[in-house]
Amino acid sequence: MSSPLRSNALVKIAWVHLVSKKRQTIVAILGVMFGVTVFIFQAGLLTGLQNYFIEKTVNTTAHIHIYNELRAERPHVLDNVRAYDSTWKVVRNQKPRDEERRLRNGYQILRALEQDPRVEGVAPYLGLQGIVRFGTAQQAATLAGVDILREDQLFRVRENLIDGDMLRMQTIPNGIILGSGLAEKLGVQVDDNLAIISSKGVVLDMKIVAISKTGITAQDNTRAYITIRNAQRLLQQSGAYITDINVRLRDVNAAQTIAAEYQSRYQYRAEDWVAANANIFGVFRIQNITITFVIISILVVSGFGIFNILMTIIYEKMPDIAILKAMGYRNRDISTIFVIESLVIGVTGGLLGLLLGFIASVIMSSIPLNIQGFVSVQFLTINFNPVFYLVAFGFALLSTAIAGYFPARKASRFDPVEIIRSR
Amino acid sequence: MPSNHIIVADHVSKVFTDPVDFRVLDDISLTVDKGEFVVLVGPSGSGKTTLMYALSTLDTEYEGTITVDGTDIASLSPNQLAQFRNSTIGFVFQFHYLLPDFTVLDNVSLPAIKAGRWSADEIEERAMKNLQLLGVADQARKRSSRLSGGQQQRVAIARALMNNPKILFGDEPTGNLDSKNTSMVLDILHDLKSEFNQTILMVTHDLQFTERADRVIAIRDGRIVNHE
Repeated sequence: MSSPLRSNALVKIAWVHLVSKKRQTIVAILGVMFGVTVFIFQAGLLTGLQNYFIEKTVNTTAHIHIYNELRAERPHVLDNVRAYDSTWKVVRNQKPRDEERRLRNGYQILRALEQDPRVEGVAPYLGLQGIVRFGTAQQAATLAGVDILREDQLFRVRENLIDGDMLRMQTIPNGIILGSGLAEKLGVQVDDNLAIISSKGVVLDMKIVAISKTGITAQDNTRAYITIRNAQRLLQQSGAYITDINVRLRDVNAAQTIAAEYQSRYQYRAEDWVAANANIFGVFRIQNITITFVIISILVVSGFGIFNILMTIIYEKMPDIAILKAMGYRNRDISTIFVIESLVIGVTGGLLGLLLGFIASVIMSSIPLNIQGFVSVQFLTINFNPVFYLVAFGFALLSTAIAGYFPARKASRFDPVEIIRSR
Repeated sequence: MPSNHIIVADHVSKVFTDPVDFRVLDDISLTVDKGEFVVLVGPSGSGKTTLMYALSTLDTEYEGTITVDGTDIASLSPNQLAQFRNSTIGFVFQFHYLLPDFTVLDNVSLPAIKAGRWSADEIEERAMKNLQLLGVADQARKRSSRLSGGQQQRVAIARALMNNPKILFGDEPTGNLDSKNTSMVLDILHDLKSEFNQTILMVTHDLQFTERADRVIAIRDGRIVNHE
């Protein structure tokens, strides 16, 4: 190994080279810095948004959702009828059979699931489409018949309330909790009375006990919580009638295996939250691939910047290289000089990029945006995961090391005699 | 082997193949003794510079055998060769080849730093001593690019002497100097030879050198045409 004095000399030579090309060095550093900044910022922004969405989704969709999957298609009635050669029989407009959506033994399954040690909470659900009417204002709504305490245990209903009191669902018989968007469209407030009408023609008078805002626009615009009893009345059904069971697990990541187990045990469809949101995760994957390409191409471009400046330096400093070799400096010493130069650019640019990326993220996360879209967000949630900072820095070093390697190797292979004799 | 021979070239030939085959060194054999001041002369294209680079280990592509200080040059790996150059050989070229953004002192120190034999303080002491010997000690802290041509060449000689080389090689070391500086450099080289018994081998056009050298070897068409 080389002595500290010797490596100091190489560092010093590298430093002098960089300083003598101040402007190009700064441009190369800025290139790396920009790449790292974009990496940090984009990755933080994108995964922050994705994590926010996943968190919202995990909190608003059940980890496992058990329901009776109805198939609209069924065998044609004539399939089982004997065919006579001489006759044509035609039956058109065969309607779906009035299959029951209910879960038979729903409450028994519910109690069995509660005994499962992997399960944190279970909530029954009876959903239906209905119309909410307030004076002349009408809105279609998804009426969710729930046991509000169990529902709260699963979906943190209380945390999302922006007005009113969840527990009044228990104390008055006809309480309803409206989504914020729905309430806004109807122009109602807590304690207003309104009517809900089901497809069976049943009308119930309800009192608004609370207003909820989950941040997921589609839900806030359409959903209303009512009691299961009221939902059953709207469907003209008896007290054991439920259509869905939602399960919250202690370990979210076990959802897939446990769902498969329940599905085979109870012979009802059991869907885990990942499968339920498969389309969204697909979008995330495409986003991540896109952003990865953008970041890589930025780092490649900054790599070319480094390559360019090192080649310029090498051709300019050929006499230096020649005399160092004549003095007895080895090829390795020469390439070390240029590797140091690329690393100085990479490390400086990388560190500046980390800092700038962090600052940009902090600024971005503190600007109120009030986006109303797929999800409604007040502030951008930015992911400050240190792994991004490590990976970005690692990438910066890698790209500069590769960009520096080839010029360094070229410099170390110069023949000093050729250089000296060509003067 | 008589130990007084520091350089032994034995039937050395070299052929350039580009653009056409051209025998630049044609079966050259010679010896240089320790403490000898030898000058290689000849018209341009005669092969004298090529011979000097082969003898000085910078050019290793030749036929025949060159032994420097008892070591067959061809037997050394590139790293060993670098090490050998560092400890055994000093160079002075037509151009000074000082690193322009470094101080004179730093430039002179570079070979010693590579050698790794001395501490930083010792290196500075040696460097100052050499600069004094060459009469440029007062310039030590200046950047080398600020010196005059004559001063720069003297600094280059100080650098070449840094590791106490057994042989000092020169490729037209005064080719870029005016006559006053030329005779000053020549005086210095002569003093090195007479006071420190320094072996010197120079390629030159300069007639002043031929007058003061111990031996002049004339090369023409890749062959030695006289042995004075």
